[in-house]
Amino acid sequence: MKVPYHWLKEYVATDLEPQALANKLTMAGLEVDHVATRWPKIVTAQIVYLEPVKGSNHLNATRVTTGQGDERSVVCGAPNIKLGDVVPLALPGAVVQAEGGETFTIGVAKKMGIRSEGMLCSPRELGLSSDHQGIYILPTDTPLNMPWEEVVIELDIKAHRGDLFGIYSIAREVAAFANVPLQAPPLAVPELGPTPVAELARVTVADAALCPRFTARVIQDVQIGPSPLWLVLRLAAAGVRAINNVVDITNYVMLELGQPLHAFDYDRVADHHLIVRRAKPGEQLTTLDGQPRTLDPDMMLVCDASGPLSIAGVMGGATSEVADTTTNILLEAATWHPANIRRTSGKLGLRSEASSRFEKGLDPNLAQQGVDRAARLLVELAGGTVAPGIIDVYPQPVQPRTLRFTTHDVEWLLGYAVTPSEAAHALTALEFGVVLDGEGEGMTVTVPTWRGDVQEGADLVEEVARVLGYDRITGTLPSGPLPEPQLASWFARQERVRDIMAGAGLREIVTYPLTSRAALLNILHDQSNVAPLLLGAVDLSAPAVDGNGAGLAEQTASDGAKGKKAKKAPAVATAAATPNLPALAPDQLPVVVLTNPLSSKHETLRLTLLVSLLETLGENARQGAPSARLFEVGRRYVPTPGMATGAELPHERRSLGVILYGRTGDEWLETARDLDFFDLKGIAEKLLRTLHVAGARYTPTHHPTFHPGRCALIELPVSAEPDAPTRPAGILGEIHPAVAARFDLTRRAYALELDLERLFAAAPEHYHVQPNARYPALTRDLAVVVRRDVPASDVAAAIRAAGGALVQSVTLFDLYEGQPIPPDQRSLAFTIVYQAADRTLSDADGDAERAKVVALLRERFGATIRE
Amino acid sequence: MLDQLEALRQKAVADLEASGDTAALNAWNATYLGRQDGALTAILRGLKDVPGDQRKIVGQRANAIKVELEELLAARRSALAAGELARALQAERIDVTLPGRAEPRGGLHPITQTIRDICAVFAEMGFHTVEGPEVETDYYNFQALNIPADHPARDMQDTFWIVPGQLLLRTQTSPNQIRIMEQTRPPVRAVVPGKVYRNEATDATHEAMFHQIEGLLIDKTTTMRDLRGCLERFAHAIFDPASKVRFRPSYFPFTEPSAEVDVTCIVCRGAGCRVCKYSGWVEIGGSGMVHPQVLRNVNYDPAVYRGFAFGIGVERIAMMRYGINEIRLFSQNDLRFLSQF
Repeated sequence: MKVPYHWLKEYVATDLEPQALANKLTMAGLEVDHVATRWPKIVTAQIVYLEPVKGSNHLNATRVTTGQGDERSVVCGAPNIKLGDVVPLALPGAVVQAEGGETFTIGVAKKMGIRSEGMLCSPRELGLSSDHQGIYILPTDTPLNMPWEEVVIELDIKAHRGDLFGIYSIAREVAAFANVPLQAPPLAVPELGPTPVAELARVTVADAALCPRFTARVIQDVQIGPSPLWLVLRLAAAGVRAINNVVDITNYVMLELGQPLHAFDYDRVADHHLIVRRAKPGEQLTTLDGQPRTLDPDMMLVCDASGPLSIAGVMGGATSEVADTTTNILLEAATWHPANIRRTSGKLGLRSEASSRFEKGLDPNLAQQGVDRAARLLVELAGGTVAPGIIDVYPQPVQPRTLRFTTHDVEWLLGYAVTPSEAAHALTALEFGVVLDGEGEGMTVTVPTWRGDVQEGADLVEEVARVLGYDRITGTLPSGPLPEPQLASWFARQERVRDIMAGAGLREIVTYPLTSRAALLNILHDQSNVAPLLLGAVDLSAPAVDGNGAGLAEQTASDGAKGKKAKKAPAVATAAATPNLPALAPDQLPVVVLTNPLSSKHETLRLTLLVSLLETLGENARQGAPSARLFEVGRRYVPTPGMATGAELPHERRSLGVILYGRTGDEWLETARDLDFFDLKGIAEKLLRTLHVAGARYTPTHHPTFHPGRCALIELPVSAEPDAPTRPAGILGEIHPAVAARFDLTRRAYALELDLERLFAAAPEHYHVQPNARYPALTRDLAVVVRRDVPASDVAAAIRAAGGALVQSVTLFDLYEGQPIPPDQRSLAFTIVYQAADRTLSDADGDAERAKVVALLRERFGATIRE
Repeated sequence: MLDQLEALRQKAVADLEASGDTAALNAWNATYLGRQDGALTAILRGLKDVPGDQRKIVGQRANAIKVELEELLAARRSALAAGELARALQAERIDVTLPGRAEPRGGLHPITQTIRDICAVFAEMGFHTVEGPEVETDYYNFQALNIPADHPARDMQDTFWIVPGQLLLRTQTSPNQIRIMEQTRPPVRAVVPGKVYRNEATDATHEAMFHQIEGLLIDKTTTMRDLRGCLERFAHAIFDPASKVRFRPSYFPFTEPSAEVDVTCIVCRGAGCRVCKYSGWVEIGGSGMVHPQVLRNVNYDPAVYRGFAFGIGVERIAMMRYGINEIRLFSQNDLRFLSQF
């Protein structure tokens, strides 16, 4: 809402300068966007001398005066000026507009040897219209030396204050906050016409619920023409272009009072009878902007017998538009149902000054003020004659609401005490009616009908607070009881994971979860089956019902207020080495899709963090980063069956993603080496050990993002209970070279994704530790030769199993392939630490343990012992 | 006899000073104090031949000299050893200006750090930190917050829809006010950090995805003064103990009264600069007393319970803290940017 300062001052005699006034408004809750000065150093002047410049085919030398006994020389190239014209003169220092909205500053110049001390301006140069055919020739009665300069305060009016879309209503607030008198614009109408309006026109409202009030007047014998300069400038300062005096007056009153109006050409309304009704299905109307509009029965129209004339409260139609030939006006000022107007303008994609006011709710009592004010101006500025009387269809006049209010209400919310008279004074300043109870703290408050936003006590508290000043709300700390302590929270868990990852030398990224189906498919080297994108996020062993991920249900990301543990109801836990993946074709990709994305790159929510990790790494690689160790703690978004109807939210799975790329740092002490799979696995192991997660299994698997021979499924126990079955929780491996190439990666990359809900399901909330052993441990090394396809973890597990409770740790310290080991075998060397709680283990104990291990490895793997 | 002893002592002391290494000291020891052939040992051994009246005097003197020489020897030995150690250590000297072994330095994203710091301030005041879904229903994101369908306040937040009119990407963290109050009874103190989404074109200060922290406190006694006090404490902890908080009247459909929250510009400390558009204040979020209709929507009696809610923009605070004027740096995740944190 643009508020020209001098226009505002017509209603309120504040002596605050524009910037001070802007600050006052801001602190009163009328947020000021910015304050701008229009037309600095532009005045009206008259041409008193005019002669062509010798040697030029279009320049004229002029002398102009502002009537103060001054004269100045201005060279002008416009073809349309003549001696005696009153014109806008830009003095040196003025800022005017060039083509395309750019501005330039006027200086003193010499043209063809003649001094030019300013510029005569076209309408476009003054920002009044696109007209640049010639100088803006003003009516000859325009006062000379009239300064054009105006300061425009642009306000961001909030959605609940539809009443503030009029400069007079802003003045009402200024009067309250600056404590100065308010002067209403004159509304009295000289009804000098010969025929009462009731005999000239009729209005029928068919749906009063959507049209609470409809007022109309008839003004006869108007003379269509340009508006006076002051009116043109006020409209322009408020952001509205002048058209002709009748249209300008309706716009002026809308800007002044906030009441939109519509002027019909009286003689083009069939039977002079306006009918307000819902549109018929498919009914058509071409609006003033030249667009044909197709209407539906939820839209209100103002019609005559021949059809629609305007879309009520939104925009008029072309057929009954005021034209140069118009002589009689049928003037409408109505009130429309806010939500209905909003729906209509939304459906038509048509926002107007009128609709943006009506949709916020206008006071029906404003309608008559609007029609009266406009009628008066049509007499003053267009020479019209107003027919006596007003048409007013207002079946249920709005009565002011009364509210009971006490100073206790103020103290309850604001925390400080006010006296009844203080509260009453504050409310009265904003034109609320207040009747104090004889004694005590209570009062009855009458709410002005334009304040539809004030519904209950809390709203009155805000009004009191605004007038008394928010600065009076000084700070204290809450004294109430604390909630129960918060136990494990997802926030804390994720922070823990972040700390562990950062401690492992990884750099955190925070990415957009918005991606696209194309981007998701782009991380698969083989796109025939997209189901692996769901790995870890859903229970893949459960049968998929359809491509929308139905049947893949698990808990959502909602936390609960008291840190209650999310209810865990895992479906069938699986111990299978490779998850039983339901195959999904690319067109079945189960993703959450936006219906109105900003771009095709951001049309879905991500199904996996891998896409974010790879894209971020790719971007860094393109920027020249030779290495990177990145992680993200974020969410994956998996559709649910009930989502399509809005009945169910998608699953938001908290996940950890890690990506490693490039080499260890090049340093003078050690030679750099390529980061590898085991760097990544070490990070995963560090995370699990830090969280006391036991029983993780890494099994070879295939996933179309990863190298087929360097990819492991991570399975975790379904709970922290001993011997709990495991289920897939994540994946890690080397990025497939075909995928890496798509992200311009020149070195190998390794990525991991782990479901945090499944991770923490396997992590004990509490755990016990052992005292330090009282007896020394016994350490034995053992090198075994087994077939290459025997997993090292199976051998270690067998060693543990053979030693039972005595085994404290089994650590692989060497792996050897080559002579003299046969080509299909390899040597694995372990350090085994035995520990007994009740005695010192002897060499004989060690020999016995070794014999047990050797026997079991022989039996299970056909292992031989390397002595 | 005593003269002879004195001459021996002087020679021994002189010899000792001339002995420059351990081998010479061992030789000196054998020469003077050796059990077999030591000169002083020989004298002590010959005492039995000294006449009775002299024997005692000579014996005492000889023993004193022996003790003295032994002490001198020990001192000389340790001085020599210290010198030898010093030489050995000197030989091991390294260039301490060479760089240390490179440990990969990890770190947290500035948004994470900012969220963590803010939540910690409120945790001190008893606020739980909880999370909520990013995909929300129209009910939680709008209707329960007193923003019905067709309400103009919906224009304040351009929405990404998943199922139009029903499912959306949350435009604010405020739906968690409803979720929290539905799940618990007062007293409630909670902050909710998280991602929010707006269907808006991006520029240097606007992103389609950014982070907010919602705050909610409901009990029987809390007023808007407490809201201001909590926000002041937050500003003092996050920005500067001297920073001030300013309330400006505003409009949020789910709070009444409502206030925009400004803090002293940390760039100019209130003097006025480009960052604060020469106002001395920077807006960091919205706040207010929870609207009675919102309380009724979750079956809290507004005559019994009251409290406040606020929403803080995380990116804006991070930009102020780290002197950043381009919001898109946060989501670009360029290592040249991230490695500065």
